[in-house]
Amino acid sequence: MNDVCVIGMGTTEFGVREEGIVELGVTAVGRALRSCDVDREEVDALYLGNFVAGMLEGQETLAPLVADSVGLVGVPAMKTEGACASSGIAFRQAYQAIRTGVHDVVVVAGVERMTNAETSEFTRALGSAADHGTDGATGLTFPGFYGLVLDRYMHEYGATREQVAAVSVKNRKNGASNPRARFRSPVTVDDVVDSRLVADPLRLYDCCPAADGAAAVVLASADVAESYTETPIAVLGSGHATGRSAAYRYDDLTTLEATTLAAEEAYDEAGISPSDVDVVELHDCFSAAEIGDSEDLGFFEKGEGAAAVAAGRTAVDGELPINPSGGLLAKGHPVGATGIGQIYEVCLQLLGEHENQVDGAEVGLAHNLGGSGAVSTVTVLGGPSGV
Amino acid sequence: MSESPPEFPATRCADCGLLYGHEAYICRECGSETFERAPLDGSGTVYARTTIRVPGSDHQGEEPFEVAIVDVGGEETVRVTVRIEENPELGPDDPVEFVDRRDGVFYFRAA
Repeated sequence: MNDVCVIGMGTTEFGVREEGIVELGVTAVGRALRSCDVDREEVDALYLGNFVAGMLEGQETLAPLVADSVGLVGVPAMKTEGACASSGIAFRQAYQAIRTGVHDVVVVAGVERMTNAETSEFTRALGSAADHGTDGATGLTFPGFYGLVLDRYMHEYGATREQVAAVSVKNRKNGASNPRARFRSPVTVDDVVDSRLVADPLRLYDCCPAADGAAAVVLASADVAESYTETPIAVLGSGHATGRSAAYRYDDLTTLEATTLAAEEAYDEAGISPSDVDVVELHDCFSAAEIGDSEDLGFFEKGEGAAAVAAGRTAVDGELPINPSGGLLAKGHPVGATGIGQIYEVCLQLLGEHENQVDGAEVGLAHNLGGSGAVSTVTVLGGPSGV
Repeated sequence: MSESPPEFPATRCADCGLLYGHEAYICRECGSETFERAPLDGSGTVYARTTIRVPGSDHQGEEPFEVAIVDVGGEETVRVTVRIEENPELGPDDPVEFVDRRDGVFYFRAA
């Protein structure tokens, strides 16, 4: 098995963008290629994550279009789709292709454009990630799914609404200093708990904003990585798992096993435990999601995640910084771009170049989740000194 | 409600006996494709609930509406995703009862 490194990276800002879907993707891929010394003819393949371009923009066949537009002539190019985990899956597929020796250098990207659609239209499009015949038929939305999760979580563990709101307060504070974020203004706990209800008990400021954007990384086998960059980031472990197909399928709605299974695989491959992780970008599509994710990834005991956030344990200067980028709650959630966007932020941390730099960050983790806990990827990355 | 609620139309795998609330096409336990009717007591309890206030375009104008996860049945129960009628503020462990199934959606109300 070959070791795999991130050798280049590029992104657009996440927010309200005027560019079309192909232009966004091409911009991120072009920036990633320019960030390292890879010639286009040395790229073996392109994997691209996207979710709703077909529904909202009428544009499919995205990966070949981006490949051609960026000058990657003739390479195999494919789109991966797993709702909000679409580009986490793209990363995983590229990683496996290099690990098994099929390819040496692969470009991985994620792209989404959402703000051009009416709220009800993109809510419907996002809702297509739910099982259409069961959860979907009732009108359950994704805020609704996490409303159910939070209702049960507060009932079982006695977490308060104010503790949960602390997630949004922390992430909006972090996002305020991230130039790639859609929201760059802080909010208070009162702002969150007084904002309008979206899917009880979730309120508007518990929910990530829609966004447009793209992010890309260049992966290479460790054998060749140092010929392209002096600061390769090692992929120490990767996990990819599926979970339950609908809300009713969970025996315990406060644990999403796609995450626990993907994390177990990634930790095992990296040979580390959760306590070895220095910085985390996890899938905070809703405040309630960050709390559950932080427990499912093994950072806190079940039921302790809400109190941990409220106590500042996951702040940039806390014992385990979570979402120093501002996460989805502040950066925005261009769904197909989110997974690579998270990996981009973790790589910046490991290079020591992040706007909200975590002191001494050497091991980082990125966690991407799609659907009603239907699919998850977890990636463990190590700083350049460890390659 | 003093009368018993209508029976809930669960099904059972004819080969291994696993109970299903929503339709199954193949038994996730044994792989069988054969199912038989197995009606359950239509009373249940809420496992979790939410009120949808920002619906997708397919459900515009219906808001606000309550969606809940309900454990339905008596001695034997199955968990299903349902709509709650009349939009009461229900929470975990509250009793509910089956009303009917319309357009593929199970409707329950406060018991």
